[in-house]
Amino acid sequence: MDTFAVRTEGLTKIYKDFWRRKSVSALTNLNVTIERGEIFGLLGPNGSGKTTTVKLLLGLLFPTSGKASVLGRPASDLMVKSKIGFLPEESYLYKFLNAEEILDFYARLFHIPREERRRRIDKLIGDVGLQPHRKRPLSQYSKGMQRRIGLAQAIINDPELVILDEPTSGLDPMGSCEIKELILRFKEQGKTVLLSSHLLADVQTICDRIAILNKGVLQVMGNVRDLLSKRDVIEFLVKSLPEDAIREVESFIKRNDGEVLSVKHPVSTLEELFVKVIQDSK
Amino acid sequence: MILTIAKHTFREAIRKKIVHLLIGLGIIIMAISPYIPTTDEPDAKVKMIFVVFFQVVALLCIIGIILLSASSLPNEIEDKTIYGLLSKPVSRLKIVVGKIAGFSALSALMVVVLGLINAAVIHRAALRLPQDYSGIVKARSEFWASQLSFQGDLHHSRQGIQWIEGGSTGVAVWHFSGLGNKGNGRLPFEAELALKIENSRGLDEAVPLTVRVENPATGLCKEQIVSALEDVPLTVRIDPQILQKSDAVNVSVFPIDKAHYVGATQGNVKLYLVQERFAFNYAKALAITFLKFVLIVAIGVMGSTYLSAPVNIAATFVVFLCGHVLDFAKDFSLLIQHSHAHEEVIPGDVERPHAFLVVLDYLVRKPLEWLSAILPDFKKFDSLEFLLKGIDIPWETVGFLFGYTALYAGVCLAISSLLFKKREFF
Ligand SMILES: Nc1ncnc2c1ncn2[C@@H]1O[C@H](COP(=O)(O)OP(=O)(O)OP(=O)(O)O)[C@@H](O)[C@H]1O
Ligand SMILES: [Mg+2]
Repeated sequence: MDTFAVRTEGLTKIYKDFWRRKSVSALTNLNVTIERGEIFGLLGPNGSGKTTTVKLLLGLLFPTSGKASVLGRPASDLMVKSKIGFLPEESYLYKFLNAEEILDFYARLFHIPREERRRRIDKLIGDVGLQPHRKRPLSQYSKGMQRRIGLAQAIINDPELVILDEPTSGLDPMGSCEIKELILRFKEQGKTVLLSSHLLADVQTICDRIAILNKGVLQVMGNVRDLLSKRDVIEFLVKSLPEDAIREVESFIKRNDGEVLSVKHPVSTLEELFVKVIQDSK
Repeated sequence: MILTIAKHTFREAIRKKIVHLLIGLGIIIMAISPYIPTTDEPDAKVKMIFVVFFQVVALLCIIGIILLSASSLPNEIEDKTIYGLLSKPVSRLKIVVGKIAGFSALSALMVVVLGLINAAVIHRAALRLPQDYSGIVKARSEFWASQLSFQGDLHHSRQGIQWIEGGSTGVAVWHFSGLGNKGNGRLPFEAELALKIENSRGLDEAVPLTVRVENPATGLCKEQIVSALEDVPLTVRIDPQILQKSDAVNVSVFPIDKAHYVGATQGNVKLYLVQERFAFNYAKALAITFLKFVLIVAIGVMGSTYLSAPVNIAATFVVFLCGHVLDFAKDFSLLIQHSHAHEEVIPGDVERPHAFLVVLDYLVRKPLEWLSAILPDFKKFDSLEFLLKGIDIPWETVGFLFGYTALYAGVCLAISSLLFKKREFF
């Protein structure tokens, strides 16, 4: 079995206009390899080519040049799609169905047998927190609820590779926290995750490796910890140290030719506060 | 897989308001169809119900079907729900087939539901029909004369019509054969006479004719006297006794009085086997209507793999109406050729047809002719024609239309698949 989940070689996409004139170079010569079992983050500003990459991997677009293979087969191969889950950039759902119906529809497309279908649908609806809304038509769903059902449909087939295009967009902090936990659970189950995002904090906490795109060109790729660690800076977090002791530590550092960059009380993030408030109110 | 997409397509369609609206409208129209004023002929009401259903209600359904099937894929592409489908292990061909199947199922539902309601309306109207006019709710099989011959003198022959005069000078005989096992003396036959009548004393007077039905094998024979009017077809019942032990029969006709003339062609006397299979025949008519819907769906879906919703809806309508447009174009060029003819007779005297008109005619007619050579001819699916005459729709016709639909739908599918496979989804 191929060890790579995704591999692109010189992948290039140039959007052409109606008259087949070149217009936008959305992706240029992308070479990326994603190993099985890792969480890979695709980062970049708006319009940098993240969605284009994802669509090329799914065979929704055809490359202008270069190759993309997914789970050891060419992208757009039908066999491969039964092992992929995909959450599009926005929630594009059939508004005339309800949560159960849409999951059932997608599950049928994977030939999942009836009993198994019922079991998975029940579990997924619970997992994404839509149990009370399972019979409501999707047209009445809020953006975050749509995102959740979108995520549920992406993993209805228990995929080996999950491709998530901005999974946390439109979600509240609780929701994005849950999604992040869910993604980490995918990893435990041995799934490979490719997620695109420009919310860097999300990516930092969960991704093993990242690639940064800008204007369709790969800028950096590597291990998150390697890329982010500042080897010459050290941080202490200390609880209830008296004022005198702090001054003593500072002078100790200076005596040893160290430089104190800052000494302050860390503030908790708004996210931590938000999550705490909401949880306390339950 | 195809079934899943078909079901999904069907479910989406029947949750649309337009479908409810059209079905409701169809039911209302059918409900009022018996009250539409008609001529005094007793079977005119039933005919009106047929016409209303197969022309008006069917057209409503077709409009609905075109609106839905031609916009379904473009809407999925516009709403990007197509991403969801295409990221699943479903081939693009199956998506197209599923769409066609889904809308065909919707067509079937419409045809069956509305057809059954209409059957009830027909049943009610048929109860009030006098015995002599109940032919409209029968299913008759048509037989054409195999030969037309004359005994005695032929008076004259003009424009393919052969005339005999009354007063025992000439007799026209239509020979029918191949009535098959049906000639076992049990099934009722009737003859329909659509003769040309001429009367030297004026046109409006009825002309007495002798009609003799004879079994050439047994010599059994029966004569009756009927009175005929120009332009009014006559129906003559044939005694089943006569047809025993034979599958052939001769029908002889001659006017009784001198100075009465009858014009005969091989086709103007026909024999009908009268069967009480109206319900079955009506079902065949509905089946043909359904095939027509399926063909429209296949065309609508084909266009939708490439065109945007509004353009495709318009294009599908054009294809559907093309036959009628062609008729119009033919009339138009006939008008122009007519003035050409004048020009030849009296050169210079009549105004030449405007050069612009000739060019326009050419520009309109030629492309339409080419188009009509490739486009399906929806007029072939005219089941109303049979019902109005109370004729049993031959199985050959149903089979032919089935093949025609299958062939066209197959070609549409092949083209759809090619177009859709190449398509990218931005
Ligand atoms: N259908 C299209 N036709 C022409 N150009 C396009 C099309 N779709 C995208 N592009 C261009 O391709 C480039 C990459 O777009 P892409 O959607 O991949 O960006 P992205 O990284 O996903 O951005 P975002 O973070 O906003 O989602 C952009 O410059 C965009 O303008
Ligand atoms: Mg994007």
